[in-house]
Amino acid sequence: MDLFELLNFYIVPGVVLGSIYALGAVGITLIFGILRYAHLAHGDLATLGAFLALAVVTGFGVSPYAALPVAILGTAAVAVGIDKVFYEHLRERPKIVTVMASLGIALMIRAVVQVVWGVDTQTYTRGIVRPEDYFGIRVRDRELYTILAMVVLVGVLQLFLTRSKWGKAMRAMSDNPNLALLSGIDNKKVVMLTWVIAGGLCAASGFFLGINTELKAMMGWHMLLPMFAAAILGGVGRVEGAVLGGLIVGVAEEVSVLFIPSEYKAAMAFAILLFMLLVRPTGLLKGKVL
Amino acid sequence: MSALLSMEHLTGGYGEADILQDVSMSVLQDEIVVIVGPNGAGKSTAMKSVFGLLTIRGGKMLFDGDDITGWAPNRIVQRGICYVPQVDNIFREMSIQENLEMGGFLKTGDLSAAYDRVYELFPDLKERRKTLAGSLSGGQRQMVAMGRALMLDPKLLLLDEPTAGLSPKYMEQIFQICRDVRDTGVAILLVEQHAKQALAFADRGYVLAAGKNRHEGTGADLLADREVAEMFLGG
Repeated sequence: MDLFELLNFYIVPGVVLGSIYALGAVGITLIFGILRYAHLAHGDLATLGAFLALAVVTGFGVSPYAALPVAILGTAAVAVGIDKVFYEHLRERPKIVTVMASLGIALMIRAVVQVVWGVDTQTYTRGIVRPEDYFGIRVRDRELYTILAMVVLVGVLQLFLTRSKWGKAMRAMSDNPNLALLSGIDNKKVVMLTWVIAGGLCAASGFFLGINTELKAMMGWHMLLPMFAAAILGGVGRVEGAVLGGLIVGVAEEVSVLFIPSEYKAAMAFAILLFMLLVRPTGLLKGKVL
Repeated sequence: MSALLSMEHLTGGYGEADILQDVSMSVLQDEIVVIVGPNGAGKSTAMKSVFGLLTIRGGKMLFDGDDITGWAPNRIVQRGICYVPQVDNIFREMSIQENLEMGGFLKTGDLSAAYDRVYELFPDLKERRKTLAGSLSGGQRQMVAMGRALMLDPKLLLLDEPTAGLSPKYMEQIFQICRDVRDTGVAILLVEQHAKQALAFADRGYVLAAGKNRHEGTGADLLADREVAEMFLGG
């Protein structure tokens, strides 16, 4: 196998898949850092985002990319709503209660998606897209957009977290919640902001999975494990770690097909997760241990 | 001169148990007051009671003309009391500058005057303001922690064992900084494990034992007191 074959058939799809995982993993890592629990409804929130975009595409006949901002806003609103209606009341209880509640939320979201959009697979657009050739590396436009969108969204998030007052407040809350409260930081606003960001990124993640493959009710649920593997691999609470983790998990899954039967591809994320927890639970970039 | 802070016959604790029993103390403007006492005497608890961190069942807390008994910590912060916990008192993964910025979070408008004031007290920090606070030495962390608390221009600063785990050199430095802070018009109430050194440097002191007032007086008087000396200096 030559280098280009490796790049075109394994690395490029791996980076694309990794970018999709990264978008979800960033949200997971933020929630882990600030609210300190594993949010198991994350994948299904991504499914919801993907289908919201589909609703806009079929309803208004616009391009999927025009539907993306609507899906991001819609999913962010749903995420904030779920927090207000469910998770907020569990804040003082042991975290495992919220983790289990989020599993229930995952099932609820999926049921709603199935009732509204049905259980069949759907797509944003029909037809076959041929990849463009860039010096021997073949990439489809949608793949390029996926990677680009991930870089831009995470870049903007990083700027927000390092430059703005409320972004810094989010980091402070993740770093030392007691001291953040002693400093007068409004924890309710920080929590809401976290859900807006995590929800919006979820929608983007689901959307790009949908545009690169197809939409189905279980699409997000199947991403949950790789997204968690990515967040833990990168180091919990580390945004740049979640991106790195996402890319590694994505590429590892695609490249693994060279060595193991492709049905076992999904096991790669599990293997990485297990390995990291055993060897270096703080992740590559020294995150929190929970 | 009337007291800036006066704690009057305070009884309270965490949950059901009363750790403090009928404790009274006061802090005047421009004064460093130290609370000393054996382990488990309720020193830190007495200080946390000022900051609204425990259940008060008797007595009251007056600050600068207001009855602040039972106020929530964020309201107390805005009223002009800032608290530096003994441990976990910095944002480790944020730069020095960002730590200070978070300290001034409640302040609307320009923070530059507050930064200048803090950096004047802690010139070491100014040079390193982009450094992550978690990578600093113990003494410097304590400076960041105090700097963070000073960003809101408090009238009273509460310090919970600021010299715990520090070398004698740093201890002296922290004490000196406390004097400098006091000289800018901020009163300080602190809890100290190093009773002898603390009483020597503070303006006044309270000795607590088993959650009750035991002795009070100027640092020098307390150091000269035979019973206090026996308690701390082994006779």
